[in-house]
Amino acid sequence: MLRRSMMIFPEDSVAMVLEDAQKGDVIETPRGRVELLEDVEFAHKVAVVPLKKGDPVIKYREEIGYMLADAPVGTWIHNHNMGCDRGKV
Amino acid sequence: MKFMGYRRPDGRVGVRNYLAVIPSVFCANKTVERIAAAVPGAVALRHPVGCAQVGLDLELTARTLKAMACHPNVGAVLVIGLGCERFPSQELYEAAVENGKPAAHLIIQEEGGTTNTVARGIELAKSLKAQVDAMKREPCDVSELIIATKCGGTDATSGLAANPAVGNMVDRIVAEGGSGILSELNELLGTEDMLARRAVSPEVAKKIYTAVGEIEDLLKKSRDTGLGENRNELISPGNFAGGVSSVVEKALGGVHKSGTSPIVDVLQYATAPEKGRHGLFLMDYESHDGEVVTGMIGCGAQIVAFTTGRGNPTGHPLAPVVKVTGNYKTYAHMQENFDFDASGIIQKGDTVEETGARLFEQVLRIANGEEMTTAEKIGGDELFCIGRRHGYHLPDEFRMSCGE
Repeated sequence: MLRRSMMIFPEDSVAMVLEDAQKGDVIETPRGRVELLEDVEFAHKVAVVPLKKGDPVIKYREEIGYMLADAPVGTWIHNHNMGCDRGKV
Repeated sequence: MKFMGYRRPDGRVGVRNYLAVIPSVFCANKTVERIAAAVPGAVALRHPVGCAQVGLDLELTARTLKAMACHPNVGAVLVIGLGCERFPSQELYEAAVENGKPAAHLIIQEEGGTTNTVARGIELAKSLKAQVDAMKREPCDVSELIIATKCGGTDATSGLAANPAVGNMVDRIVAEGGSGILSELNELLGTEDMLARRAVSPEVAKKIYTAVGEIEDLLKKSRDTGLGENRNELISPGNFAGGVSSVVEKALGGVHKSGTSPIVDVLQYATAPEKGRHGLFLMDYESHDGEVVTGMIGCGAQIVAFTTGRGNPTGHPLAPVVKVTGNYKTYAHMQENFDFDASGIIQKGDTVEETGARLFEQVLRIANGEEMTTAEKIGGDELFCIGRRHGYHLPDEFRMSCGE
């Protein structure tokens, strides 16, 4: 099923789904058609380019964190597979 | 552009006209509450401090309470002291009088206890309220408005819809010669380069780097126990659940609520900008909702624009708090706590421009007193909290300037 989504800048490496979506659903992005590899909730992020462990994750044209594991296109990107060293005490 | 406001003796302009009943110390809280409850239109400013504090903490308490007593949304002030507190109620009363507010002052230990003070306080409050009711709105310039901005209960829609809408509204206020305040510096980690590029001068850029850098250092140094291992991030479980994955992602979304105007200065907590200085300010403080909102109101902000994706019921006793969301689900689920739905930007392709224009119109209606915010209707007053620094083990070299 085609789900609504949004990318803030076409250079970003993630898109956000704009409705609760299931594994196998599809989003259309400026980087191409992406099939979701898992369920993704409203407003959460999905990789639109293949990401390798250590790669920066780009949103708002800025680095919001780095990958803790490899993630093919369609992977849900969140704090389980993305790290960030700032703001930790 | 004009709106209808209350011109105060100090030249500033209010959008509300409260009789503020203020305890100089927490020991007077119940007395203050009972007086305010008996006089419709009076607001009580409960707080947990005013004694047993030293140094910067005590200074912040004194500065904040005086800023509340002198706030342009306040028409008159009744100060209630206990009598033995470290922050003397006389000092608070004198600040209100010097500011030109009709004011009165009672000390519980001198009045002979709670009952006497409440009875005498109600009489004084009624007479002050009559003076407040005689004050009239008059046409004032929009350049007199200062809008505080705050996110609370952020989710991923905040950075897409609610914050850009608020930012556009703030740009419109600044374009009219008015002002906005951005703060919560610990929530801006990762955006300092963007903010510094917006500074009006290299000096202001340096102040921005220093302020953000110090907050990050203080946070690192403040971890003095192994307890609470998984509670110690600058991001809440609700932020994560809403799809925000890091403090930098949150910051990049949060910074939009300041719009695109140049940053004219970095303000100290609850300290008014230099006279005649208008535009977008940064205020040096962390992100506790109540403490930071009270600090910005202490800087003179008359209205707060508060974005939330998860939903938030809070209000401030001295200023309308305009609740804005970009999350259509939260809006439908908690409508009684929202003033503005910006979710059309995500759901219907509305532009930030038209949404910001709509919000600007609503803010002017709220400034005029034509419209009350949902937080005002509910009586929300949770956001009155006084800033403190003792929790951060503040090193000497980071002591805030407490001048004036």
